[in-house]
Amino acid sequence: MLQIQNLHAAYGKVEVLHDISLEVPKGKVVTLIGSNGAGKTTTMRAVSGMIKPSGGSISLNGKNITGLTSNKIARAGLAHSPEGRRVFATLSVTDNLLLGAFPRLTFGRERGDVQGDLARVFELFPRLKERAGQQAGTLSGGEQQMLAMGRALMLNPEVLLLDEPSMGLAPLLVNEVFRIIAELKGRGITMLLVEQFAAAALEVADYGYVLENGRIACHGPAQQLKDDPAVKAAYLGASH
Amino acid sequence: MEILAQLIVSGIALGMIYALIAFGYQLTFATSGTLNFGQGEALMLGALVGLTLVGHMSYWLMIPLVLVFGALQGIFVERVGVQPAIKTKSEFGWIMTTISLAIIFKNVAENIWGHDDITFPSPLPTEPLQFMGIRVLPMEILVVVGALAIMLAVELFNRKSIYGKAVVATSNDRDAAGLMGINTGMVITFSYALSSMTAAFAGVLVAPLTLTGATMGVVLGLKAFAVAIIGGLNSGMGVIVGGLILGIAETTTGYYVSTGYKDVPGLLLLLLVLAIKPAGMFGKSVIKKV
Repeated sequence: MLQIQNLHAAYGKVEVLHDISLEVPKGKVVTLIGSNGAGKTTTMRAVSGMIKPSGGSISLNGKNITGLTSNKIARAGLAHSPEGRRVFATLSVTDNLLLGAFPRLTFGRERGDVQGDLARVFELFPRLKERAGQQAGTLSGGEQQMLAMGRALMLNPEVLLLDEPSMGLAPLLVNEVFRIIAELKGRGITMLLVEQFAAAALEVADYGYVLENGRIACHGPAQQLKDDPAVKAAYLGASH
Repeated sequence: MEILAQLIVSGIALGMIYALIAFGYQLTFATSGTLNFGQGEALMLGALVGLTLVGHMSYWLMIPLVLVFGALQGIFVERVGVQPAIKTKSEFGWIMTTISLAIIFKNVAENIWGHDDITFPSPLPTEPLQFMGIRVLPMEILVVVGALAIMLAVELFNRKSIYGKAVVATSNDRDAAGLMGINTGMVITFSYALSSMTAAFAGVLVAPLTLTGATMGVVLGLKAFAVAIIGGLNSGMGVIVGGLILGIAETTTGYYVSTGYKDVPGLLLLLLVLAIKPAGMFGKSVIKKV
């Protein structure tokens, strides 16, 4: 489904990703864990076209999407719920969600059942339905996170990128976010998940990659990584 | 008292022109964080192209053609002057390029239409209407109605259509809008087209009330810029109020003090606003929660 081969990325002259290769098979949840500054978010940004990779290749469903602009990558079927949520503050909750389906609403013909998908997102996040007409900027952090995820789902994506969906949320809401990720997994949605809560991420994921200083340090089935003494010591000690 | 009312009425028409040009500044600033410093020249070109066209057709038929011309002129400015600056992430490049293009447009206009000001034939009767002793030119009413109509149309487009929402999304967060599949580069080009289109429209609205010529845009563009700063670069209401304040300040000062000082109160207000509330009288900072 999503294939990343020998990806390099740099901010200015400083290379921050070195030779990253990873794969997200159809219907699977793959997680990328690692400490702050390891390059998790940069990897996500390079995949969705927010930054241009300086080397390597990325393909979605066999189609080469390397170096395309983010809007073309979205149109190819990749949705990215970015770090920091990035909701459209002055637009209503409903408008934010409809914009998630933008490629499906343009050029006069609707592709798929957008209204039905909107109803399904509201079902998944009842809180958003209550706030449907409210400006997104006035939502709480947790609600904004739900909105960012719901907005990404509105694309009906082939692959969903979730970057730090639990960041800055109260423990109760963190559990809620992971419950929803598990629910989405049950629906067969292919996901690449970046999380600071490595234990919870490995719990829901099928496969994991550990990123250290911009390189893949190790990878394996999620269960196996969870039991790996080195991974345990470095990433699973403090959180949860 | 009657004189004051008369001055206010005249000031309103002038103020709406400023508001309309200032509205154009806002359109491009919202999507791209850049301004077209050639807004005044876009107005001037609209007026002069309109002047040439009214030789062959009616004023009303000319308006849609001038709108199309204005949109194309805006696309040209964005593609040639602004897009390269945005692409190279040059923070101030667009200032120089839009000013340069403005000077070029002025020179071209001088070569085509000459250096002298020309009278623009009024499409409406030039005989003023009387309302309780106050004289109003029919053209002044058209200016106010036309300016409000185009601003309302843009606002409705932004609120109701998915493309308009895409424009607002781009103004909110350009990167996030890109992730939605919105071609934000196209949105910016579109906002320049819309911006120059409103300026060209302002040109054909104001032309019958003033003289038309290659230099007519310089002062109008500058004053509208002051209005945009006074009202706030992100407030639709702000430019209308700001425009009216400046317009009325101009006509009243011109009468009570001296026409030589008519530009002073508006510019004093500009300095005052910048000192006290730099985001503009109605400028709002977007609510952001972390």
